[in-house]
Amino acid sequence: MSHQKPISFRDMAQPGDEPLVTLERDALMPLPAPTAEPLLQAPKAGWAEKYDLSLDGHSDFDFPKPKTAEEEQRLVNGFLSGLQKLFDPQSNWPFVKLLKLSMDYCVHCQTCSEACHVYCGSGRQEVYRPTYRSEVLRRIYQRYFTPSGKLLKSWVGADVELNAKTVRRLLELAYRCNICRRCAQVCPVGIDNALLAREIRKLFSQELGIAPKELLQKGTRQQLQVGSTTGMNPAGFKDTIEFQEELIYEKTGRKIRIPIDKKGADILLIHNAGEFMAWPENPAAFAILFEAAGLNWTLSSESLGYDGVNYGAWFDDVELARIAMRQVSIANQLGVKKIVVGECGHAHKALCVIADRVLPGDLSLPEMPRESCLPLLWQIVQRGAIKFDPARNDFPITLHDPCNIVRLMGIVAPQRNIIKRVCAQPLRELAPQGVNNYCCGGGSGFAIMDTLNFSQWRKSVSSRMKVKQVLDAFADVLDPAAPKYVTAPCSNCKGALRDAIGHYGLWDKYRIMYGGLVDLMVNAMADLPGGFIELNREDL
Amino acid sequence: MGFEHFMVGFGWLAAVLFVGVSAYKIARIARLPLNVRWEVYPVPHEAKEKRPYGGSYMEEMDWATTKREASPLATYREIATEVTTLKRVKEHNGYGIWPLSLAMHWGLYLYFVWLFLLVAGNVLLVPGLSLLTIVVGLAAHVLGAAGALGLIVKRTTNRDLRLYTTPPDYFNLLFLAALFLAGLVSWFGDRSFATHKAYIGSVLFFRPVHVPAAVSVSFLLFELFMIYMPFTKLIHYFAKYFTFDRALWDDDFKAKGSAKDRQVTEQLAFKPGWAAPHIAPGQTWLQQAQATTPPEARK
Repeated sequence: MSHQKPISFRDMAQPGDEPLVTLERDALMPLPAPTAEPLLQAPKAGWAEKYDLSLDGHSDFDFPKPKTAEEEQRLVNGFLSGLQKLFDPQSNWPFVKLLKLSMDYCVHCQTCSEACHVYCGSGRQEVYRPTYRSEVLRRIYQRYFTPSGKLLKSWVGADVELNAKTVRRLLELAYRCNICRRCAQVCPVGIDNALLAREIRKLFSQELGIAPKELLQKGTRQQLQVGSTTGMNPAGFKDTIEFQEELIYEKTGRKIRIPIDKKGADILLIHNAGEFMAWPENPAAFAILFEAAGLNWTLSSESLGYDGVNYGAWFDDVELARIAMRQVSIANQLGVKKIVVGECGHAHKALCVIADRVLPGDLSLPEMPRESCLPLLWQIVQRGAIKFDPARNDFPITLHDPCNIVRLMGIVAPQRNIIKRVCAQPLRELAPQGVNNYCCGGGSGFAIMDTLNFSQWRKSVSSRMKVKQVLDAFADVLDPAAPKYVTAPCSNCKGALRDAIGHYGLWDKYRIMYGGLVDLMVNAMADLPGGFIELNREDL
Repeated sequence: MGFEHFMVGFGWLAAVLFVGVSAYKIARIARLPLNVRWEVYPVPHEAKEKRPYGGSYMEEMDWATTKREASPLATYREIATEVTTLKRVKEHNGYGIWPLSLAMHWGLYLYFVWLFLLVAGNVLLVPGLSLLTIVVGLAAHVLGAAGALGLIVKRTTNRDLRLYTTPPDYFNLLFLAALFLAGLVSWFGDRSFATHKAYIGSVLFFRPVHVPAAVSVSFLLFELFMIYMPFTKLIHYFAKYFTFDRALWDDDFKAKGSAKDRQVTEQLAFKPGWAAPHIAPGQTWLQQAQATTPPEARK
């Protein structure tokens, strides 16, 4: 099924700077309508000497290549040491069971391949197949840690030589998977190849301190030290809230005092703090809705209490536990009844699901419930305290299902129920939709990774399937006279969509825009002047 | 002691090793630490109205403090459906391996049914049992051989599949093909499977009997396979229980003081040995998580 040059697992160890794969626009998955997609740009002059681009000519890692044999050996030794720890129940208890099962019992049936939007989007490049990186890892593990592999080597498939090139390419390869886990969903044995990508990321982060700087240094490290991955400290947050109140007044004429640090509130609402910077109308819409619905709610101004993100979910269990522990402790200190997570997919999954078993009993879910905003928003609609006028949202609309909220939490119906009540036109479902959706291409940190030329790869390859789905959904209304709206109740998905819309010229060509769910709700509030969503923005 | 005695002893040895090694391997997986929650929807034991679209209890408000409706039976029904129809392979595999894989799997399932019928034939007098044994036995061997041989051809002729197929994968398929083909050859010598029944009886009652060489070879291969199988990924049917029920569909949140909470508490006392600068050496998982200001670098 692949149309590219044959690649083997041994190629991962190939010396030199020549990429294993060279991507070309016209060899990628075709799109169903014309777009303004540019040609893929070659790496800038001088990059190849400084940085390692030997997987596919792209990278998010701007650290220099090892210069000496000693440096290379240190990298290899560190990798082997980390690999051993991945299989140590003390060092890797959170995932060692599923890791081991996934390593030992894959039957190589390749049922997962066609489920992967990266593999399909790339024009079926072998290196992006969900099983490719897993197989490289498996063969290395067999060769260096199992008696049969040590003894029989390629006779039992343990044929990948480990050198600095292999390690470096495997690092890149771990960041060519969105960890959307569509592959795990279709596997007949329950093998989780996406988890294996995450485990490789974890090995690099927890053993070698290597991770994309947007995720580690500017991500979890900054969040734990300053309070937010945006760099916003508590004082900055309070200023932001003042701005939010002004924004609400400007857009609706309503003077709202957004509650901060209200002790004993029913709800602590935690947003992705990136929303305050990139899409301030989204947290503003939450405030408008919650006030109009008469909820007893609050935001927190404590460090980490105003930023629900947890990048540890993508690459580092220790950082994940630290951030979740702090966020839940803040809710406890405020004496709120529950935490509600705003429109941020990975924050949902990290706080409501994964954190469940990395926190002690006092912070268990029944002690401090942590829920999605979506059922609450649906309840607000159902209660009828707010009157919605669907005619305000009279444009073609589709819904992107964020993987973390939908496939990985099973929250499917509330957002659809809401759209049915606040929009005039029937929802145009993407195909496939719901728990079978495709990732936006920005999942697992990709939406915020833009060092070197990584974002070109993301926009061209990992977001490609989403662009195809959106164009298919609007196929009969592509005329730019009518604006069209892609609802994405997740910050990272919005970031990826924003970039994809720009990259493919979907706004200029077809007037396709994107936004959150609460934005739609507030836009439909009958007692507001309207125009909360600006359908003819030029900055899209 | 002759070859017949050996065949009786080897039959029991194969059975004991199969059960023993499988149990050991299962116990080793079961003893691994509790995985963190990492589910993928649809989760089959969810409430009936949510199952068709993959919804979960987290679609409701206050789920952490509300009694849940869940159906453990639905979990086993889903696993049984997968085992018997290879549904996911049928729906998602792009290489057309489903009919071959299904044939091979059903060949194995029916082989065990056939063995059961041979055992039953030694202890029960039921009308029609002999005919049923012939039909099931023949179906098992034909399906198994066709499936295994077909998969070998598929894996050797398709470039994508060939890349991922290791020497042990080919060996496993060849072993299975040999086992089924040997059974077929033995059937040509005894269309009623009467000598096969006699051999099973000899193992059951420790009464060595002489059977044709083809029958001995076919059972010898089967017994070798039983000994070999638990050491390989061929026991992925056991793994499925753990991957699905204990990981991908494990949506059970812990309550303070519950058995799960106690297990997590034990695991939080483990000491991670990771060496990155942001991980404090010598601390437990809980201490790492509680550190408000994590270590910036090893001093």
